[in-house]
Parts: sequence; C-alpha cells; structure tokens
Amino acid sequence: MLNNITLGQFYPSNSLVHQLDPRMKILLLVALIVGIFLAQNLLAFLPIILFLILAAKLSTIPFAMLIKGIKPLRFILIFTFVLNLFFLQGETVLLNLGFAQIKTEAVVSAIHYCLRLVLLVLASSLLTLTTAPIVLTDGLERLLSPLRVIHFPAHEMAMMMSIALRFIPTLLEEADKIMKAQTARGADFESGNLLNRAKAMVPLLVPLFVSAFRRAGDLAMAMEARCYHGGEGRTRLRVLKMGKNDGLSALVMAVLIVLTVLCSRIY
Amino acid sequence: MQVTLENVTHTYQPGSPFQATAIENVSLTINPGEFLALIGHTGSGKSTLAQHINGLLRPTTGRVLIDGKDIHEKGFDKREIRKNVGLVFQYPEHQLFEETVAKDVAFGPKNLGLSGEEIDERVKEALERVGLPYDQVAEKSPFELSGGQMRRVAIAGVLAMRPKLLVLDEPAAGLDPQSREDMLSLILGLHRQGTAVVMVSHSMDDVARFSTRAVVMEKGKVAMDGTPVEIFSHAEKLEKMGLDVPGICRLGILLRDHQLPFPENIFREQDALAAILSLWKGDRHAQ
Amino acid sequence: MADAIISLDHVSYAYEENGPEAVRDVSFSVPRGAFYAILGQNGSGKSTLAKLINGLYMPTKGVVTVCGMNTQDEKNTWEIRRKAGMVFQNPDNQLVATIVRDDVAFGLENIGVPTEEMPARIDQALTDVGMLSYAQRAPHNLSGGQKQRVAIAGVLAMRPEAIIFDESTAMLDPQGRKEVLQAVQRLNREQGITVLWITHFMEEAALCEQVYVMHQGRFVLSGSPREVFADAEALREYRLDAPPMARLSQQLKKAGMPLRDGILTTEEMAEEVLRLCK
Repeated sequence: MLNNITLGQFYPSNSLVHQLDPRMKILLLVALIVGIFLAQNLLAFLPIILFLILAAKLSTIPFAMLIKGIKPLRFILIFTFVLNLFFLQGETVLLNLGFAQIKTEAVVSAIHYCLRLVLLVLASSLLTLTTAPIVLTDGLERLLSPLRVIHFPAHEMAMMMSIALRFIPTLLEEADKIMKAQTARGADFESGNLLNRAKAMVPLLVPLFVSAFRRAGDLAMAMEARCYHGGEGRTRLRVLKMGKNDGLSALVMAVLIVLTVLCSRIY
Repeated sequence: MQVTLENVTHTYQPGSPFQATAIENVSLTINPGEFLALIGHTGSGKSTLAQHINGLLRPTTGRVLIDGKDIHEKGFDKREIRKNVGLVFQYPEHQLFEETVAKDVAFGPKNLGLSGEEIDERVKEALERVGLPYDQVAEKSPFELSGGQMRRVAIAGVLAMRPKLLVLDEPAAGLDPQSREDMLSLILGLHRQGTAVVMVSHSMDDVARFSTRAVVMEKGKVAMDGTPVEIFSHAEKLEKMGLDVPGICRLGILLRDHQLPFPENIFREQDALAAILSLWKGDRHAQ
Repeated sequence: MADAIISLDHVSYAYEENGPEAVRDVSFSVPRGAFYAILGQNGSGKSTLAKLINGLYMPTKGVVTVCGMNTQDEKNTWEIRRKAGMVFQNPDNQLVATIVRDDVAFGLENIGVPTEEMPARIDQALTDVGMLSYAQRAPHNLSGGQKQRVAIAGVLAMRPEAIIFDESTAMLDPQGRKEVLQAVQRLNREQGITVLWITHFMEEAALCEQVYVMHQGRFVLSGSPREVFADAEALREYRLDAPPMARLSQQLKKAGMPLRDGILTTEEMAEEVLRLCK
C-alpha cells in the first residue's frame, strides 16, 4: 500500500551543481524566485530559462526526471491557462468564438503565468535533486543562524527537520503495517463516502500517533544519553565552505537579475 | 477449512527499480487442525507468505484457494476470508486504538456486521480465551494494561472473528521468559480447541515443542516441509541455511558423533530426559 | 572496590514522590573491563537501574558513582554520559540522522569534538562494529542488528569506558542478536570496554562473568552464571528460566544421575553424558 516511498528526490552525483555550497544554492533559488517575479514580459524570462538549462546540464540530472516534477502540476497549469485566456481583458481580439472573445493580451498573460509556475517548480526541484536532505537542513540552519540574535531557533528547527526526515520512512512502514492489520480485522479504508472514509482512518491514526509519541520519548532519552544539550557548544561533522564555483554562480546570478530587469524595462 | 497456495509468486513493485521477488512459486496446503510452524531468516519471505494466506497481499502469479475457491476471483466475498483466517502481526499491541478493551475487541465483529448481542458474546468469549477476566478489563483503556496484557487484547481482537485458521507472526517477540511461556501455552490451547495455527517463529525450541508440521523458507522458496522429526533430522542442512536447531538436537548430534546410540528423532526436553536415563541405566545393567 | 567503573551504594528510586520504588536498596559495583549481566523479567526494575547509572534518572536514596563521579552532581552529567554510554532497546528509536555516518557523528558534535578529528573517529568506530561499508546508507534500510551496531558505533566514537546495554537485543531476530553480542564481546575483549548487559535472555546472561538477578526492584540472586542457573526453582519464582541444558541437567540429577554441577552448554552436557554412559 505504501511501499517503498523514496524520500525527497535527491539524485546522487558528483556534478558541479551538487558540489555547490547548500547555502549558496538556497540563496540562488531565492534570487531566481525574485527574478521570476521581476520578469514583466516573456523576453525577460529568457535569461532565467537559459540559466536553468545551464544548471540542469551541469547537474547531470536526466531531463525526464526534471519533467517528472512538473507532471503533478498539469491540472493547475491547464486551469491557470484557461482562466487567464477567457477572463483577462484586453484590446486586440485574437479570436472570436461567439460566446467569448480571446484577446491577444490574454494569451500572452496566460503563457506568462504558466511559465512562471513551471520555472518556479523547476528551480526548486533542481535544488532538491542536487542537494541531499541532510545537507539542505544543514545549509538552512547555517543561513538562519544569524537570526538567533532575535531568538529565532535556527538550530532547533534544523534538528526537527532532520529528525522528521529520519522518521518519515519508519512511520510510513508502520502505517502500512497497521493498515494491513486493521484490514485483516475487516476494516475498509477504500470505500464509502468521505465521512465514512474519515471515520475509517481512526483505527489507523490513533495507533500511529501513540507509536509516534512512544518513539519521541525513546528518542529524547537516547539523544540525552548521547550528550545532546541543544545547539550550544556543538561542533559539526559537515563544514560548509564557499568555493570559487560558489562565487562564480553568485556572479552569474547577479548578471542574470540585471538582464531580467533590463528586459522588463526595455519592452 | 483448507487453504491452498498454488504456485504463488509475489513481486514487490514490479517494473520499478525497486522490483524484488519476495516469494517464488510457493505451493502449500494448510489442513484443518494443523499447527504449522513457518521458519526462516528475516527476508526469507515468510511474512509475505503469511500475508497471502488471508488475502492481504495478492499473488503476482498463482492462486490462493479457500476450500477450493479462488479468493481473488471476482465475486468472492472478502469478508469470507476475514471471517475464516485471522492474522496476528508482530507486536500486535501496537494496533490497539479504542477507548476501552471491549470496544477494541469488538472492532472485528462489528466490521463483519454482526448484531450487538452477538458482538458482546464474542467479545466476552475472546477475552476469556486469552485468559483476561472480562469484568476486570472490559472497561479499561487498553493503554493502561501491561505489555503482555495488551498483546492478549490484540489477539482477542482477532479471535473475536472466530477464525478457523489463525496466522501469527512471531507472537512471543520481545516477551520475557515467563510471558513467552504463557503466550505459547495460550496458542497451544487455542490449537487444542480446534483452531488451525500457522506460527512464524525464530525459535526452533518452540517449533520442536509445539508444531505438528514445519515449513522452512529460504530465499522465497519452500526449502523443507515436513513433521518436526523430519525437519530436525536434517540438522546440518538447517545450520547451513544459518538457522539454529533445538539444543537437544545438537546434543544428540554430539552424542552420536561419539558413538552413543542417542535416537535421532528426539528434540523435546522430556524425551531427551528419558533417552539419556535409559542409556545410562542400560549401561549400568550391562556392567 | 578500588577500580570500580560503576558503583551503586544502597540506591533506591521511585518515579513519583512517595510512590512505589522501582529500584530498592541496590548495591553493587562493576570493575574495569568486566562483562556483567543484569537479568530480570519485564518490570523488574532493570531498565530503571540502567537509566540511574547514565544520569538520566537521579537516585531517590543512595549514591551512584561512575568513574569516580557522583551522578547527582550536575556538572558531572555530560562527562558521565560520555564515559558510560548507553544503547537502548528499540533500534529504530535511537538513531537521529538520515545517514549512518552523520548519526555516528551526533555524539561527537554534542561533546564538541573538533571537526578535523571526527572522520577518523567515526571510521574507527564503524570499523570496530563491522559497519564501515554502510557509512553512507540510510538507517531505515538496515536490518535490526545493523542498526544496533550503528548505535554502538555512535557510543564508541565518544571513547567511553563503559557501555550499558538496556535490552539491546530484545527486538532482534536470532541473526541480529548474534551479530550484536559478538560485536560487544569483541569490544570488551580487545578494547577493555566495561560492559553492563541488561537482558531477559538466559543464553546471553550465561556468557557473562557475573549475573545479577533482579526482581521487584531488588537484587535477589547473584554470582557466576553457573551458580545462578543452578537454582532453577528460585529462578522460576522470579519468572525466569534456566538455560535448556541447565534445566535438563537438574532433571537428570533428580532422577539419580550423578552429573557434575554447573552444566550450561550443550558441549558440557554431551561431555558429562558421554563420561557416564560410555
């Protein structure tokens, strides 16, 4: 039922993109998102698209895998496209269908919105595909750690994320087992109306929560026994170091943002 | 009731990179009144096999028959399987969820659509069969009970379906010696009352003591199938598969290696006691 | 004892104030390099005892001393946990990281070991438990025995003097139990790490130098495995059972066969039977 769910979508490789500092990759993603929203016209997307193609090429990730990330989005894309197409006002009529008129501006805008969505998803999948979850949490922790000054729990958040990542497969396995056990007692998880189905989840959810709490208690004890006492005075196995490539990618990104802004202005 | 597996193969995630064949071409008939021990390493496919017996898993190829009828054929009422074949997973106490013991045990019968009266009767009976006094535990929360008691409640929840065949996956796992003994005599009692039992077990001593038939799985296939006497007379073969043999069996091998005529079919403590004493006494009379 | 790594002096512990005591007036000490077992049924107080030694619980009465440090003194806590590590029962619930290597590093990070020192210590610890080739794996893809060995490596990397195993084999299959026990025996033999092995498996206790039987919070029997398992009746009273060969030898003796005392293993039994019957 819930067999073999691969966690995250990390694609192991030793490519240049994989080797970039996770902090830089997170920052690049943020910059890219800003860029995507700054782009006012289709031409302005061009530098971003070129950058993504380059990054994808360098990352050695198969093209099909990237596309897979967009697949679940197809209904939203179609919906967004159609919505924009019919309801956006404009001046030049491109097509008269009788019951509705399609305007040129609407077509452009529909493409614009869809492209924005696709690029956002592609950019984020590129990050998760090239960065192991454990490295990603590490990067996030380090990036957010200056916020400790305002009592933002950066270390605790990263620790929580990493523990969650560790226990998701374990709990999935457990959920599968409980479901099977209740099915063997005649429970039915798959038919009935919405309310019945929600009710049918109780015999699954209660044991799952009980188990999660039990595990949390055990884990807290085990962490304490291994001298865990918060982020204070901790050293790290993984040290993040920015290298030449990180600087270079930051530079490329800066150029790209400038180009995007220029393109938006010129048009 | 007879359950038959006919050339059953099960492949997890066929066609994906995770594709793995857990059992391959397994044919097995479980007869009424049997106490069948299912033995094998972790990963030998015994749990997958157990889940086919009550239709939780569907064979990739092959058929599972109850009294000659294919349970995965269209029109076969799945409730027939649930009614007749009970499955107790490892650490079954982890599935308890109701507010009271009685409600939890009633979950199965309720799903069968029985009347309230019948359900009450079955709950009482099931709790009694696992040795829990109804009056004392029925209204308690299952989470207040001790680990051993919780496991009994979980088993009662399966017994309340009144299965003719009970499949148990490592029912004594994690229990201390006395609770383990209690659990095994409970299962033996159920068997004596006429329930057929399939027990997945790692303990060869338990297999030797209780089962009427033992099936050894290795790498997804049935490697041996026979009475415990037959199985344990191939001690070397078992050891080669990385499985233990009962201590008494090993003692017998050691003794026979030194030309002492210790019979081959002995693997229970009481039998060993008698055999050694007769060897010793016979020896003294001869002198 | 002069060189006791762990010593308990009239220790009692209750979970709630004025509540029933889970551990009652327990005194004992474990010398450096020893391999001792604590045997008891579920609820006998043996796990509570383990947590008292590691400073996870503080004694209600009495004193627990680990490597000369009183566990009640708060400034000792981290040093005690480093020197007397602990491995728990459930292999799934004690690994923190998504990669084996990072999990072994967890303890080192906590005690502030410099980053440059970590890789060597991690690799050594994983080598010692035979798990080096799994360094980059995810814990959830390992078997129970492998997970427990990773947990041991996590403790080992911190260079402890003693390790307390709190029913660390209870949830494993026979294969996993063998793996873990062998790894621990090797650590004890080759690195002189003191082991306190808490269990309800007789066969495992039989392999230790000294066995303490716990029942309702007290030590009720102690001695070498031969001494302890000689008294099958007393063991049954404590809801425990002697190993099969010890049981058989007692029955044979009852029937008049003059077997020697203290038979525990199949080999010993075979030897005696051969001596008397040939």
